[in-house]
Amino acid sequence: MNNLEKFNSIFAETFNVDSSQLNENFGIDTVANWDSVTQLSLVTAIEDEFNIMLDTDDILDFKTYSIAKEILKKYQIEL
Amino acid sequence: MFLNIDLHKSDAIALVDDSGLSITFNELITKSNEFYKLIDKRTLIFILADNSIESFIAFYSCIQNKVVPLLLSSNTNEELLNNLYEKYVPEFIYKIPSNNWRPKNENIVATYLKENGFELIQTNNINPILFDELSFLLPTSGSTGSPKLVRHSYTNLDSSAKNVSELFKIDNTHTAIAFLPMYYTMGLSVIMSHLNSGAKVVLTNYSLTDRLFWNLMKEQKVTTFTGVPYSFELLDKLRFFRMPLPDLKIITQGGGKLKEDLFIKFAQYATDKLIQFIPTYGQTEGTARMAFLEPSMTQLKVGSIGKAIPNGYLGVINNSGEEILITEAEGEMIYKGKNVTLGYAECKEDLTKGDDNKDVLITGDIVKRDADGFYFIIGRKKRFLKIYGYRISLDEVEMLIKNQFHIECICSGNDEQLIIKIEDLSLANQVQAYISDKTNLFHQCISVQQLENLARNEVGKVILTN
Repeated sequence: MNNLEKFNSIFAETFNVDSSQLNENFGIDTVANWDSVTQLSLVTAIEDEFNIMLDTDDILDFKTYSIAKEILKKYQIEL
Repeated sequence: MFLNIDLHKSDAIALVDDSGLSITFNELITKSNEFYKLIDKRTLIFILADNSIESFIAFYSCIQNKVVPLLLSSNTNEELLNNLYEKYVPEFIYKIPSNNWRPKNENIVATYLKENGFELIQTNNINPILFDELSFLLPTSGSTGSPKLVRHSYTNLDSSAKNVSELFKIDNTHTAIAFLPMYYTMGLSVIMSHLNSGAKVVLTNYSLTDRLFWNLMKEQKVTTFTGVPYSFELLDKLRFFRMPLPDLKIITQGGGKLKEDLFIKFAQYATDKLIQFIPTYGQTEGTARMAFLEPSMTQLKVGSIGKAIPNGYLGVINNSGEEILITEAEGEMIYKGKNVTLGYAECKEDLTKGDDNKDVLITGDIVKRDADGFYFIIGRKKRFLKIYGYRISLDEVEMLIKNQFHIECICSGNDEQLIIKIEDLSLANQVQAYISDKTNLFHQCISVQQLENLARNEVGKVILTN
């Protein structure tokens, strides 16, 4: 699996959706089960998979699929 | 007056909420009187609450004026609301605009529109008979849809507010953040104990992963933070230990057992910052808190729930129900105090019942008491889990699955995961999705596994061996 596939599969598993549903609109305002529990689980899985530690601000901003991609760039993760 | 509101500085701020509203102690009294004028008698009301000033005024007004509220989440689903409505037949419903549930039209006598879109609905239901000492009701489980309620007395509320205020040494210079919901015993305890001492309470519906929550913490100069184990996991993840929060003085924890590594981290953080970390123990049946650990002991007694709260008593009983008097002991924990609730209700007839518990609560928690008299929870007798601060009854989950799928199942688990064992694993995804929907539990906390060697007796009835 390349990085993007790993990234997508974490989203898919966390929110119990198919990877094909992940797009720019996928985020806290459109996904019903996106709450603090899923967000914590998402961030933890991303950190473990890519061996990074996100800053507080980045965790608080981690609220859509596209923003998450942007944030990972800051940590030198190429998707 | 309830929570001594009339004894506090009348123009001091009592409550602040997310909408930017704030009210003084004096305004709380005025608004509470206005609310009661619409009801004007002792009767039963459902309050579909969020953490807003409007919701709290309604609750306060009810207690002060001897109206009996059932406090419910504003997110309570239609099915459960219908069930509760049929079982308890309230005369009034107070609800926030975001919940669309309403009683049947033919039941509605009048609707009063209040501030921020809140609605007070009066029905033609007959005013039920209520035990004189009954103050209010809370669900035993916020999630599995059980209509079983805990009956509280007026004494419960007064003594809980006073005792908790005493144990945290709350004064009018304190500001608490209340993000735990007020329809949850500990959330309500945070609000009551602070108002009782003239302190300010910041009500919020924001979650810890919301930037606005942290803005509120800073802007309102919050001194006191109370969370459940899951909140502390979020704090840890959010690099809380590196956040500049110069006003924070007291961190209190309840709602279940904190993992040991987190317990140690927070005890160390508090020691380093010269602030207080106070782990506590409680249950809805004890009007929230029953035990607490002195902040000075958190490094010495890691994982302990401490000793009884002021004016409370903790003990250990053996299998025959006799109290063990030797200090070092293991067994089921009991609690005695004025905050022990009256008992349960399962239908409106139960609201006439008196005090079943007589100040004594058999907690269902198995404890170890060490040589210094400190208590440690080591197990649980009752069949429920506490996941993310929610109480999940295993019996209720089994019943839900049996009713929906008509299959056998056995539930178990720990405070991180609910394990459901079924025979036909092809139903695993459906069962997981159904229970996740019903309980609001994160689907990754629900593990559906193979049920092996299901023993049945000769008439085909399942024999539970574990």
